[in-house]
Amino acid sequence: MNIGESIFQAFDSVRTNKLRTFLTLLSISIGVFAIIGAGSLVDSINGSVFSEMEALGRNSFFIYRVPALNMGHNWRKYRKRKPITYSVLKELKKNMTLAEFVTAQGYSFGTTIEYGENETDPDVGLIGADENFFTAQNVSINKGRPFTQEDIDYNRSFAVIGNDIVVKLFPNIDPIAKKIKIKNHSYTVIGVLESKGAVLGESQDNRVIIPLTEFLKYYASLWEYDLFITIKSQDYESLNDAIDESIGIMRSVRNLKPWQENDFEVETNESLTEQFASFTDFLSYFGAFSGIIALIAAGVGIMNIMLVSVKERTREIGIRKAVGAKRRWILTQFIIEAITLCQIGGLIGIIMGIVASAFFGSLMSIKLVLPYSWVIFSIIICTLLGIIFGAYPAWKAAKLDPIDALRYE
Amino acid sequence: MELKEENRNGTTLIEIEHIAKIYRMGTEYVHALRDITLQINKNDYLAIMGPSGSGKSTLMNIIGCLDTPTKGKYLFKEMDVSEMTDNDLASIRNKEIGFVFQTFNLLSRSTSLKNVELPLIYGGFGASARHEKAMKAMENVGLGDRVNHKPNELSGGQRQRVAVARALVTEPSIILADEPTGNLDSKTGLEIMNLFNELWKAGNTIIVVTHEEEVARFAKRIIKLRDGLIEHDSVNHHQRALTEEAQP
Ligand SMILES: Nc1ncnc2c1ncn2[C@@H]1O[C@H](COP(=O)(O)OP(=O)(O)OP(=O)(O)O)[C@@H](O)[C@H]1O
Ligand SMILES: [Mg+2]
Repeated sequence: MNIGESIFQAFDSVRTNKLRTFLTLLSISIGVFAIIGAGSLVDSINGSVFSEMEALGRNSFFIYRVPALNMGHNWRKYRKRKPITYSVLKELKKNMTLAEFVTAQGYSFGTTIEYGENETDPDVGLIGADENFFTAQNVSINKGRPFTQEDIDYNRSFAVIGNDIVVKLFPNIDPIAKKIKIKNHSYTVIGVLESKGAVLGESQDNRVIIPLTEFLKYYASLWEYDLFITIKSQDYESLNDAIDESIGIMRSVRNLKPWQENDFEVETNESLTEQFASFTDFLSYFGAFSGIIALIAAGVGIMNIMLVSVKERTREIGIRKAVGAKRRWILTQFIIEAITLCQIGGLIGIIMGIVASAFFGSLMSIKLVLPYSWVIFSIIICTLLGIIFGAYPAWKAAKLDPIDALRYE
Repeated sequence: MELKEENRNGTTLIEIEHIAKIYRMGTEYVHALRDITLQINKNDYLAIMGPSGSGKSTLMNIIGCLDTPTKGKYLFKEMDVSEMTDNDLASIRNKEIGFVFQTFNLLSRSTSLKNVELPLIYGGFGASARHEKAMKAMENVGLGDRVNHKPNELSGGQRQRVAVARALVTEPSIILADEPTGNLDSKTGLEIMNLFNELWKAGNTIIVVTHEEEVARFAKRIIKLRDGLIEHDSVNHHQRALTEEAQP
């Protein structure tokens, strides 16, 4: 079968019917873009949020200022709430009796680390952590030591670095007690993390940890300034008691009168995970649905282009039939052409989708996860689109009478 | 009746019995062919003549399995064509018939070599066999040095020779040419007829539809059609033979 020729022909029809083909390919691209964009974003959220939530286990809960998935209403009420500051975190730590630990952290992606003349690529994850971070995240130290509470309280310029940073900046030197620079602030390396290798092609060692207080001072983006506090109760049975205890402490720290509502949110890991899951499900279904609508519209366009192409090439079809092309050859040729057209549009959409989700991911400080399954889904959808909407024009071409086709002017 | 004798020797290629082709135009019927009975043997060189509208092309298309008769019987190598499916017809066209058209009918976007390869693609030949056969056919028609030219980069005569190469490449049982010189000047037309002459001498069976006495003179046998009937079928005693003579 002459697939190459059919593919070439598809490119040719892009060239000869520029505007119409462009518009159709655009709508395919938009459709695929919606699918990939939503899929990629969802996968990225799942990757960074869920893995963390799951790691914490069932007996964790969170305290934060405004609902994570606030869909617009009550915005005014939430906006007036006081921020949850580092001192709130300290009060909780001091007064909680039913907690295994109380912790909070901040993330910022895409930082450059310097040491002497050398510097890393601007892709290092910067984490602001307290002394409980290492237990809560199950991160162990390979060399040196983790932070202590004093390091955090006194805002010491210390850093614990991941193995990628060691490889990059300290190839043959012991990094401990060396001074690294982040955005003109200087930090003394006090520890090196145990190497965790890569997950899904993403290195887990390309990070630097500094005290949370220091992080909040210099690196937190606006909405990260509010702490998202994680508390783990000693066991699942005491979870509710621990929640009650924390609410009591929060109310007194924030001077709430008995008749006033809580001016913060408390949510367990389980329920928050569920909320996130339903949100991300919604997002991916919404993306897939609107994408498919756009693709169906595009399919009609593809059909139109193919019908025009069949008409313009009637003589060619006649020639092919005259020299012995069977119906199914002509059918396959035109269907391959339709599929190729769809794939061109799809490829553009995939690229657009990945670029856009990378952009939004970086806005939301989430690492991009390449949505392989959505890419494959899009390729399959584009193929189906070509087959479904190419079928009718291809069938029209295939059943042309050779004499009529040859005589066509 | 020398033709009948040859038939008994088993060299009959085509047997057409009482064929008619009727087109319906609204309420009118057009009898393109009324009642044609015809036998064509291996290595025949037949010219079909007749006024415009007499049914020459219609007959040619039926012989070439591009079209099917409304009535009558058509046996190609003793196979009943009137009973065949579309796929069978395509397969006969591919393997048994080489068509040469007045308007060349080449794929304008493909090189001449690709054009010649086209029937081989549908015949299921692999790329290297295709290339080899197509090259040979192009050399046969004297265009070995024009294989990478596209039709619009060739002269009319060269285009028609590419079309002849395409017709030859599958080594068909018969070559059909519908006014092959109609779009060429007389000198180039003569070149093409020369080519047919050589093919005929090499053992090919050839049918040419033409208006021109000049062209028909090359044939061994001449049929005259009028109003969808054979008016005249005779051996051409003035067959203009040879390449030497044809050369300017
Ligand atoms: N598809 C068709 N529909 C209706 N009538 C047709 C069709 N094809 C041919 N005819 C008619 O059949 C008759 C024979 O046509 P044909 O093309 O065979 O003539 P011809 O001898 O080849 O003429 P010319 O020398 O002009 O090429 C003509 O009257 C023509 O109008
Ligand atoms: Mg004609």
